[in-house]
Amino acid sequence: MLKDITVSFAPHIGKPYSTRSIMLDVIIGLTPAMIAAGIFFRLHAIALVAACVISSMATEGICNLIRKKANTLDDLSAVITGIILAFSLPPAIPLWAAVIGSVFSIAIGKMVFGGLGANIFNPAMAGRAFLTASFGMMMTTWTVPATIDSAMPQISAANAVDARTQATPLAHSKNAQKAQYGAMELNSSTSDLFLGNVGGCLGETSALALLIGGIYLLIRKTISFHIPAAVFLSAFIFSAIAYLINSDYYASPLYHLSSGGLFIGAFFIATDPVTAPLTRRGMWLYGIGIGTITMLIRIVGAYPEGVMYSVLFMNSLAPLIDKLFKRIPAGGEPNA
Amino acid sequence: MSVTSKKSLTFPGGIHPPEKKSLTINSKIHTGFMPKEVAVLLSQHIGAVCEPLIRKGSLVQAGQKIGDCDAYVSAPIHSPVTGKVKEIALRSHAVIGRIPAVIIETLPAHPVKKGCVQFDEEFDINKYSVEKICEAVREAGIVGMGGAGFPTRVKIEPNPRLPKTTMIVNGCECEPYITCDYQIMLEWTKQILIGVKLAKKASGCSKAFIGIEDNKPQAIEMMETVLNSLGTDEIEIIPVKTKYPQGGERQLIRSILKKNVPTGGIPPMIGVLVLNVATCAAIAEAVVADVPLTHRVVTVTGEAIAEPGNYYVPIGTSIETLLEVCGGVTQKSARVIMGGPMMGIAIADLTTPTTKTTGAVTVITKEQMGMAKFERRETACIHCGRCLAVCPENLNPTRIAHAVKNNLMDVAKSYYITACIECGCCSYVCPAHIEITGYIKTGKIFLARQKKKIP
Ligand code: SF4
Ligand code: SF4
Repeated sequence: MLKDITVSFAPHIGKPYSTRSIMLDVIIGLTPAMIAAGIFFRLHAIALVAACVISSMATEGICNLIRKKANTLDDLSAVITGIILAFSLPPAIPLWAAVIGSVFSIAIGKMVFGGLGANIFNPAMAGRAFLTASFGMMMTTWTVPATIDSAMPQISAANAVDARTQATPLAHSKNAQKAQYGAMELNSSTSDLFLGNVGGCLGETSALALLIGGIYLLIRKTISFHIPAAVFLSAFIFSAIAYLINSDYYASPLYHLSSGGLFIGAFFIATDPVTAPLTRRGMWLYGIGIGTITMLIRIVGAYPEGVMYSVLFMNSLAPLIDKLFKRIPAGGEPNA
Repeated sequence: MSVTSKKSLTFPGGIHPPEKKSLTINSKIHTGFMPKEVAVLLSQHIGAVCEPLIRKGSLVQAGQKIGDCDAYVSAPIHSPVTGKVKEIALRSHAVIGRIPAVIIETLPAHPVKKGCVQFDEEFDINKYSVEKICEAVREAGIVGMGGAGFPTRVKIEPNPRLPKTTMIVNGCECEPYITCDYQIMLEWTKQILIGVKLAKKASGCSKAFIGIEDNKPQAIEMMETVLNSLGTDEIEIIPVKTKYPQGGERQLIRSILKKNVPTGGIPPMIGVLVLNVATCAAIAEAVVADVPLTHRVVTVTGEAIAEPGNYYVPIGTSIETLLEVCGGVTQKSARVIMGGPMMGIAIADLTTPTTKTTGAVTVITKEQMGMAKFERRETACIHCGRCLAVCPENLNPTRIAHAVKNNLMDVAKSYYITACIECGCCSYVCPAHIEITGYIKTGKIFLARQKKKIP
């Protein structure tokens, strides 16, 4: 009788989920955006996502072998890094560049720190930053979605330059601004932007699809609302102030909110638990930081897309934020 | 005031584990059970261990005092049965290890105690002076039956340095599976309330609140009805939200009084006395009927038990015997727990006897535990912050646990390791299946040892 009984610490029960199931949820949350990417960019999307996911997983596996550590691929975090990196790349980027980005993301962005949980920077954003720094030209050549130009070229390493390209709406608004054209001349309407029928990064174009996935994660309590709420609110307030100051010169806050990377940033990148603060109050500050810096970069700085830099910047501050919001016991400081 | 009109009170943090109370919720208290042998541990409380008052071979009567001690913080031990002392030998105590126990062989011909004493007479509080109540409580060996086992006399006796003003009666029973207190509230309502009145008088509290979780509407109603018939006398029933660990004393005080017991302090520091409902019933028995604490209700439950239920058992009955009475356990049992699944202690030695503080024996299967927990598969912390969000003491559990893991005790202290109440919420929610509470407990033991060496 009772051959299997074990003893260990209380509690003896746990919530029926795991790191793996949480990661799986995030993948499910990313699926609407993957489908949207498939619709807008056809084969480019499939090839890019596949290349990034496979090379991310392979890199993690190899790193584990080299470090003689147990296999960690089953936590699925490498899959997410792959998908998010693919989403943040221009659709027509050559696959070899995507692979380099993935290897950098995992090997340098995550494994050298000690693997999942120990990394300071979001691996996908680290990879993207590396690609931007190394291949700046490629990273800013945007293909129009196949839904706009049905003659979108077939995928190959060579023809990236041949594809009909278009500045992303945000780049355009930046150009418009610089050339003093005025915000009215933006070449796509806010609703097109929201649905994703615009040029841009693979997964960043359809705010709607990202919103659906984000809501799924919120309902499943896979992410808490604090960070996304803080990002959106701060981005809205900041861009609204700019718009109120000069509505001819700056794009409207709605335009900014329904655009580009803000959705994927708020729901899927800023909420990466490993690189975000632990405390609720810390999460607010972190989200506000990301929203504000993104807008600052978009409106004042030189880059149209600020999410990557703001996330990386706030990642580096997360440990400090945790120190700032150190939790005091409910019963107050103990008397020593 | 009607039950439903009151809004349930609560505290921040906490979790909602599956309640699992349905296994035993309709189980009336089974009385009349008598084991062949009991092993009465000589320390079932916080404080000094008792000296045995009998010898091998002595004949003892049910209710006879068999162990006592002069120390102030201690409680005497009584025999629950009439029988012969077989020996005084070491037995396992779930928390403190192996300690001496009086092993008594029961003589079958003697009557069995059938539940809490019923009071037919009209209750008159004026018959009992403060001194008389305190003395009776001590002599009956009453200790906190909700878990910790602190001698009740020490708790209720007036203390001029820390005067008590408010009494809180804990009827929450927030641990999953357990229903013994619930059943006592339904069946022995009058005894509980008389106990509350006695303790309130003895301690000098002007007000008493009885906190009951709102998933027990019948208990709330029953207590209201009987309380009204006895005279409310500044006693109030307070529904509190069903949430774990609502029954933790610091949490219950926070919920009801909106006050915090200082970190590292005890409730009397803010003038509060907390007693569990079962303890109150025992106080009534002791003071009114002069009956010592020798039996208690134990919920024997869990998916691996054939006939789960609430049993009135002599204190000292071994877990093994108890499980047999309940139809035995199935092959699938994965863990035998003294107490509930959140804070109970897993035991390997089934001869471990029950004590005054054993409210439940829970036997769960691998499925209930979850395979990852059963196999102790810990993965890396992903910094998700879930453990912080649920910690009812507002700590940073992951930081403390990882500090202990890396043997950085100063860091653990700087994150207030000593403020942890070991409720287990953090471990429960951790998706990486890290035994956060386990690390914290280990760290606390380590610190306690350190302290002893370096005075
Ligand atoms: S740290 Fe302690 S008090 Fe906080 S949840 Fe964990 S066990 Fe409970
Ligand atoms: S719940 Fe577990 S994984 Fe999440 S922060 Fe706490 S220890 Fe880390």
